[in-house]
Amino acid sequence: MRFNEKELVLLSRQPSERAAELGMRGPKKGDVVKKRLVKLVVNFLFYFRTDEEEPIGALLLEQCRVEREDSQTFSIAFLDEAERKYVFECDTEAQCGEWIDSIKQASYEFMRKNLIFYRTEIHRLTGKDPLEQYGISDEARFQVSNGRPLMARDTSSL
Amino acid sequence: MKLNERSVAHYATCDSPPDKTGFLFKKGERNTAYHRRWFVLKGNMLFYFEERDSREPIGVIVLEGCTVELCESSEEFAFAIKFDCAKARVYKMAAENQAAMESWVKALSRASFDYMRLVVKELERQLEEIQEAAGGGFVGAGVGNLQGRPKSSKRNKLALSRSGASSSSSSSSSISSSSSVPPMSAPFSAQKSPQDELQLISGPSKENGVAWNKPPAALANGFVEGASSRAPPVPPRRKGASLESPVCPGTGCFSKLHDWYGKEVEELRVQWLQSQ
Repeated sequence: MRFNEKELVLLSRQPSERAAELGMRGPKKGDVVKKRLVKLVVNFLFYFRTDEEEPIGALLLEQCRVEREDSQTFSIAFLDEAERKYVFECDTEAQCGEWIDSIKQASYEFMRKNLIFYRTEIHRLTGKDPLEQYGISDEARFQVSNGRPLMARDTSSL
Repeated sequence: MKLNERSVAHYATCDSPPDKTGFLFKKGERNTAYHRRWFVLKGNMLFYFEERDSREPIGVIVLEGCTVELCESSEEFAFAIKFDCAKARVYKMAAENQAAMESWVKALSRASFDYMRLVVKELERQLEEIQEAAGGGFVGAGVGNLQGRPKSSKRNKLALSRSGASSSSSSSSSISSSSSVPPMSAPFSAQKSPQDELQLISGPSKENGVAWNKPPAALANGFVEGASSRAPPVPPRRKGASLESPVCPGTGCFSKLHDWYGKEVEELRVQWLQSQ
């Protein structure tokens, strides 16, 4: 599958949510732990050899599961091949927890769910669709899951 | 550079709903012919398939940091996806009619993770304002009425327009690590981590009959159980980066940024009309 590698490399240089040197082990049998600079940018996890400008690789963080393996280790597995885990070793338990939280929230799908929650909640409380003033209420990506548009309703009883 | 291609391809065809699908003509890399492909937009990923019923995409265009413009072309209804990096490839595309072109341009220019994040932050801010205005009756995701946080009705307006550390991310900068970020001076309260947020929602308190509970420990990414009854954690705040969009400076304020996106589409429409 082709992808725009140059642009992805450029993305890897953008300011990140979180970056640290971690021990990283690939999902294949026989893969060993290697020290990598791991960097989270939008919904991608890039990993570099320390002091190298270009990443060795990237993981798109959609449809994945992040789990704590032990006090300082977490893993990422993708739902289409759940047995293959990428394992990351942190320096402290706290650091491990922070990485887990960041990665869980790093997917576009997660943000979409947040958005739908806020939109629905604001509509429930005010009777108004907060996206209407920006002219984006009809965009597919902002639709609530039942597919029905949010209608302005009578709020005189509120 | 490696990519988890199998899983990325799976994301293209899994049952998560796409943001837009349709046929577009895409200009080939080497030869200049336009090929008709089936396109699927999911989040910030634009997949393309040989046929509508192909099982796997031929390729994907990661849309982060791109701009979408009209372009000169022998094809009608043409537009281009451009990136701000040296020797970046320009993806030339053509739609089948005017309406489709406008619709795709709109969808693609708002496809970035950054844009989604801004919209979420804006709605989060609005919800907090509403909850504050409603007084102590509400307990939930909002920050305003939780213990220890100073109440101020003025701070919300300013939160989005703070400049913070300037990072015009179009220039290639060295890898930034989160440990070297200067603290932002802003009237808004200190950056909260998601854990803070969850801990402050103490116990199963009720709001309008809906109980707010702490979420279970290991969740599949993107799957929040009982989403309808519990506020999600606050979306992460990007440390060290300003809230300005990298493609459009001066837009720390959400409505300005949003106008900018709208203007882009408007300009394209005017350009197209003038070229007729």
